[in-house]
Amino acid sequence: MERNAQHAFDAEEVMAYLDGELEARRAAALAAHLVSCSECQEVAQGFRALSERMPSFEVEHPSAGMNETVIAALDSSNAAKKTVPSGSEQNKSWNWRRMFAKHYVWAFAGMGLAALLAVASIPNFFRARHEAWLATERATGLSAPLEDRQRFAASTSLPPAATIQAQLAAPVGGPMPTPPPSDDEQLKAPENVGPMIVQTASLNILATNYDEASAAIEKLAAAHGGYVEKLDAKAQTGNARELSASLRIPTKQLDGFLADVRKLGHVEEETRSNEEVSDQYVDLQARLKSARATEQRLIELLRTRTGKLQDVLEAERELARIRGEIESMQGQSAILVHRVNYATVQVDLNEEYRQVLGSGPISTGTKIRNAAVEGFSNVEEGAVALVVFLFAVGPSLLFWLAILLVPGWFIWKRFRVRARS
Amino acid sequence: MRQYLMNSDDQLILEFQQGSREAFVELFERYREPIYGFFRRRLDYPARAEELAQECFLALLQNVQRYEPRASFRSYLYGIAIHLVAVERRKAGREVAENEKLDSRAVEGNAAENNDAGIWVRSALGHLEQSEREILMLREYEQLSYGEIAAVLRIPVNTVRSRLFRARAALKNQLLPVRD
Repeated sequence: MERNAQHAFDAEEVMAYLDGELEARRAAALAAHLVSCSECQEVAQGFRALSERMPSFEVEHPSAGMNETVIAALDSSNAAKKTVPSGSEQNKSWNWRRMFAKHYVWAFAGMGLAALLAVASIPNFFRARHEAWLATERATGLSAPLEDRQRFAASTSLPPAATIQAQLAAPVGGPMPTPPPSDDEQLKAPENVGPMIVQTASLNILATNYDEASAAIEKLAAAHGGYVEKLDAKAQTGNARELSASLRIPTKQLDGFLADVRKLGHVEEETRSNEEVSDQYVDLQARLKSARATEQRLIELLRTRTGKLQDVLEAERELARIRGEIESMQGQSAILVHRVNYATVQVDLNEEYRQVLGSGPISTGTKIRNAAVEGFSNVEEGAVALVVFLFAVGPSLLFWLAILLVPGWFIWKRFRVRARS
Repeated sequence: MRQYLMNSDDQLILEFQQGSREAFVELFERYREPIYGFFRRRLDYPARAEELAQECFLALLQNVQRYEPRASFRSYLYGIAIHLVAVERRKAGREVAENEKLDSRAVEGNAAENNDAGIWVRSALGHLEQSEREILMLREYEQLSYGEIAAVLRIPVNTVRSRLFRARAALKNQLLPVRD
């Protein structure tokens, strides 16, 4: 097959020429070339000799039975034009293309259905979320629609300080979230009617005597009229002990309390921050006032007017809603006042850590036992996690596999058939 | 029936589509032996080859209403045949061993039916790569043009030409030294 580079025709073209598959002009040129070129003649001769040998692979003639079967099928299909003759299993395999089409259609129908379901469920999903949001809003008493709030804000200019004080002095019956020591003072407005400030302080103390210090914290809080909101003590082997306490101290007492706490040890870090909440408070009071006015108007309306039962019911429903709002706002107001009256103090107490001597190395047996226990629990956790994962992901995995693999499988199959043939 | 002699295959199949029984009979007469030979050269057993040749014509019968004259009738018919062979091979689950087995079977099983040269040709074909062998056989035994082979196998014409050339080159290497 080695051809000279200067040859105008390669062996493949000679072959195509002999097969009658060369483009006419090229074929004519090659024919002319063949007359003179002995090398190309040789190539051509090789191909001819090969093609001459091929027919020696002979086969016998088909039997007459084949004719009969086919002609019989032809006649029966002519007789019943529309009925498909029931062939043997090979017929079915030829119908594969039809089956393929069907499966294909099914797969696409499945995909379409899934997409439809997804699309259909999206609005429901958002609706559910919106309702959940509304529920939380209602719970926090902010359910009044936006325009209502704007109306409140417009109708109520900021009341003078005296009005605020009067409102603050009014008894408020909102539920308290924390059980503080009963103190008449707690729900009243701060003494000065200036800005309302929520104070927070945080102290990080390295205790010289941890036991004393930890015991002292609660006592100090009580002594200053405050209380412990949360207390978290840690004493891990081989580590310094820690105590983390969240305390509520009356604002007036805050400075005295902090001074006492500082004495417990070395203060590593101290931060204080003040947050002004006057705006919030005033806003809340204004809305409260407006809501009360609405309530009064509704009560008046119900008392003086007689209307249709439907209207009365409507008015009562509105009244109930307004009252709910009022209560909720009163609660918020009380919480705000409480936050102003009681400063939040976060005290982190750390033991001065000294490495303990004498806690010898863990014995080999204990190590092995611990390792075994750990290994076992790892296996258990792993197995449980796997099962949980399968349950959590399995159904959707199967679903998507079914949707994606079925068409994929058919396409692959088709490619394989094509590649093979 | 004689009048159809002058008609091309493509005309005949369209006439059969219109309901002409004679057109099909004529087509069947023309392709009975070639189709049988097609299967016979590719399968071990004469009986199976005959069954599949029947299948091929039955498929033609059944699907005639869907026939569209896109390529030549010959490439349509051999397309069906190629498909049947592929299904048959897959069903037998021996497509992997096909290459190795074809030649040995030829020598052992069909020695009586074939002359010596035939055995050599068959054995040499067995050594070709399958895609190349298929193209070579379609060209040499079914006498399909490059374009028809391309349509049957759904590959580009240039690929047909280059593979055919490779197949013939390989075959020459195997066959011609024997003769020398």
